[in-house]
Amino acid sequence: MGDLVQNATKSQKKLLAVEKKQSPSVCALCRGTKFLCGKNRCPVIIRYHSKTKVKSLLNTLRLEGASPPSVFVGRIGYPKVAIGPMIPPVMGDTSEIDTPERWLERTLDDIVDFRSQLVRGKFTVNVTDVESPHRIVEFTRELALSKNAVFTDAMFTKKPYGRIAFYDEVQPHGPSAPLKTLDITNPKYEQCIEKAYYDTDLKARAAILDIYKNGVLISKIQRAFSVGAFGVKKNRRFVPTRWSITAVDSTLSEELMKKTKEYPFINEVRAYYLNQFDNRWIVLMVPSEWQYELIEAWYPNTTWNPYGTGISIFNSYEFYDGRTTYAEIGGCYYAARLAVNELLNKERRQAAVVILREAHPGYIMPIGVWNVRESIRCALSQPYRKFSTVQESLVYVSKIMDIPLQRWIRNSAVLKNQLYQRKLEDFIVR
Amino acid sequence: MFNTKIKSDIIKGVIDVTSPLVNEAKFNISSKGISIRAVDPAHVAMVDLELKSTAFEEYNADDMELGIDLDKLNGIMKLANTGDLVTMEYDEESNRLIVKIGNLVRRMGLLDTAGMPDSKVPHLDLPAKAMVKASELSKGVRASEAVSDHLALSVDKDSFELFAEGDTDTVNLKLPKTLLLELHAPGKFKSLFSIDYFSNMIKPVKSDDPISINIGNDNPIRVEFDFAEKHGHVTYLLAPRIESE
Repeated sequence: MGDLVQNATKSQKKLLAVEKKQSPSVCALCRGTKFLCGKNRCPVIIRYHSKTKVKSLLNTLRLEGASPPSVFVGRIGYPKVAIGPMIPPVMGDTSEIDTPERWLERTLDDIVDFRSQLVRGKFTVNVTDVESPHRIVEFTRELALSKNAVFTDAMFTKKPYGRIAFYDEVQPHGPSAPLKTLDITNPKYEQCIEKAYYDTDLKARAAILDIYKNGVLISKIQRAFSVGAFGVKKNRRFVPTRWSITAVDSTLSEELMKKTKEYPFINEVRAYYLNQFDNRWIVLMVPSEWQYELIEAWYPNTTWNPYGTGISIFNSYEFYDGRTTYAEIGGCYYAARLAVNELLNKERRQAAVVILREAHPGYIMPIGVWNVRESIRCALSQPYRKFSTVQESLVYVSKIMDIPLQRWIRNSAVLKNQLYQRKLEDFIVR
Repeated sequence: MFNTKIKSDIIKGVIDVTSPLVNEAKFNISSKGISIRAVDPAHVAMVDLELKSTAFEEYNADDMELGIDLDKLNGIMKLANTGDLVTMEYDEESNRLIVKIGNLVRRMGLLDTAGMPDSKVPHLDLPAKAMVKASELSKGVRASEAVSDHLALSVDKDSFELFAEGDTDTVNLKLPKTLLLELHAPGKFKSLFSIDYFSNMIKPVKSDDPISINIGNDNPIRVEFDFAEKHGHVTYLLAPRIESE
C-alpha cells in the first residue's frame, strides 16, 4: 500500500491538500429534496432553470400530441398529489422521449431539448383514488399501461407555464398546467402489465418481478407502478414518480440479491470502467460473499457540489445481511444495485461490489437516476480487467481516477473490509 | 430418537448466540447433549456451542443431525413466556420437529443438513487471557460503537484495555488487574476487531457473568462464556482486522 501512496501524482497530492479545508456540501445529501440549506427553494435547481433556454410558451389552452406514453405523479401535498399525462406538441412515434434506456448515446443537451417539449398536465387526486371513474384518472392510467405512443388531446384551465423542471431522481420535463379535460385514443396495453393490472390478488412485489422477467423495460414497469396498477386491490394507490423509480429498483434488486447470495464466488478480481457524461465509473468486483457499496465523489462545480471548494465524497453500503435504512445517497444506490445484480445473476456468480464514481465538472445538471442504472449496465457490458488481488485492482483505480487511492479507501466501508478484515481460514495452520 | 423437555429461555439463549452469525444451523444431537458449530457467510466469525443434557428437564436422544431454520425457531419461541416448559420431539416419519408449548403444537419442517459443512476450528496460539465482567465490557463496546466501526483490544501483565478511534473522537476503557477476575499475559498482546461482530458476541451474556477472552498479536480472539446455569458453554472465534500500511 505504501508504494501506491508514493506513486500518487502531483495533481493527486494537490487534491489531498485541498481536502482539509473542505466544507462538506449538504447538496449531495439533499439533491433538491430536503432543503437542508434552509432556503425554501433549491438554489441549484433554480440555477439550471435560469440557464436553460427560454422556450416559447405554448400560447394555447389546448394541446394535441402523441404521449410517448408518459405520466407524472407529483409528491408535493401527499396524499393529495397532482397526476396527469405528459404530452409533447408532436405526433408520431415519440416513445424515445420517455425511454431513458435509449438515452446513453445522447448528449445532455439533446436530453434536455426533447424532455423540455413534454408538457405536464396536472389533476389533483387523493393517492387512494386509483379506481376513480373520473376520465382524467382513467386515461392517465391507460396511458401508463400503454405499449406505444398514444394520441392525446388535453384542455388546460391555464396556459402551460414554466420552462423546464429538473429533479434529482426523475428525468426533467417541460412546462405544466392544470388539466380541464383529457381525451386519448384507444391504447394497446403492454400484455404482461395488463395481466398484472387485472390480477387484484397478486402482490405488487410479485407483479413487478414477473413483468421484469418477461423483459419489460424498467421505465415501463415504473410508469405503471406509479399509477397504482399493481398489488392487492385495497392497497393500490398512486405513487409519486420519484418514489416509484426507487421502489422498483429497490424491489427488483432485492429479489435478484436473494439469488446472488447463493451463487459461487467469481474467480478473479474485476474492474469495469466507463466514462459517461463526464462521470468516471469504475465497478470493482471481488470474489467474496455479497457486499455492495456506491461511493460518489463530486468535484466543485458539478451538479451536487455547486459551491464547494473541495471534492465531496459520499458513500452508502451494505454487507451480506443488507441494510434496513434508506441509503444516504438516495435512489442512485438502488438503481446501481439493480444493474450489478443483473450481471451477477446472468453469470450465476456472487461477488463483493464497489462502485466508484467521479463526477467531473462536465456533469452539470441533474438528469435522473436512470443515468446511474444505464451507465452501470453499460459499464458491465464491456470487457473487464482481471486482477489476482484487490491491491492490484486498486493500482488500476489510481491510474484512472484523479482522487488519490487513500481517499477512496478512507471513504469506503467495503474496501476497508476487503483490505483489512481477515478470515478465520487465514489462521488455519496447514 | 430425540425427545426432550426444556425451559424456553434456554432455547431462546441458543438462538441469541447463533443467529447473529447464521440463519440456518445444524444441531448435532448425541446422548450427552446438543452442539452447534457454525461459521458466518463472510468466514470472519465462528460459534461453537455446547448444551449438556443436564440443561434439559427431560432428555432422551440418539446421535443425529437436525437442520434448523433459526428465524423460524425464534418465531416459535416467541410464543412461549419466560419460564414456560417446551417439549421438542423429532418426528422421523415426516422429518419434522414437533414443538409443544402448553397446549400449542407446532410442527416445523427441517432443512437438509447435507449443504451445511462441518467447520474446522483453527488451531490458535493465543497467549494472553483475561476474565472480564460482561457489564464492564459492554459499556466499552457501546461507547466505541458511537465513534468507529472497529476497536482494539489489548492485554498486558497489569491490565485489559479497549480502544476505539474515529475521525475526531476516541474511546478508552482500561481495567486494572484488580477489576478483572483473571489475568494472564506473558507480555503485551493487541489485535483489532470489527465492533459489529464483537458486540453481537458479548450481547447474550448476562451483565454479572464473566466473559473469558483469549488474545494474541494480530490474531483471532476467542470469547467464551457459560449459559443455562453452566450447563451450556459458548466459544466464539473472531478474525482480526489488520490495518497494515
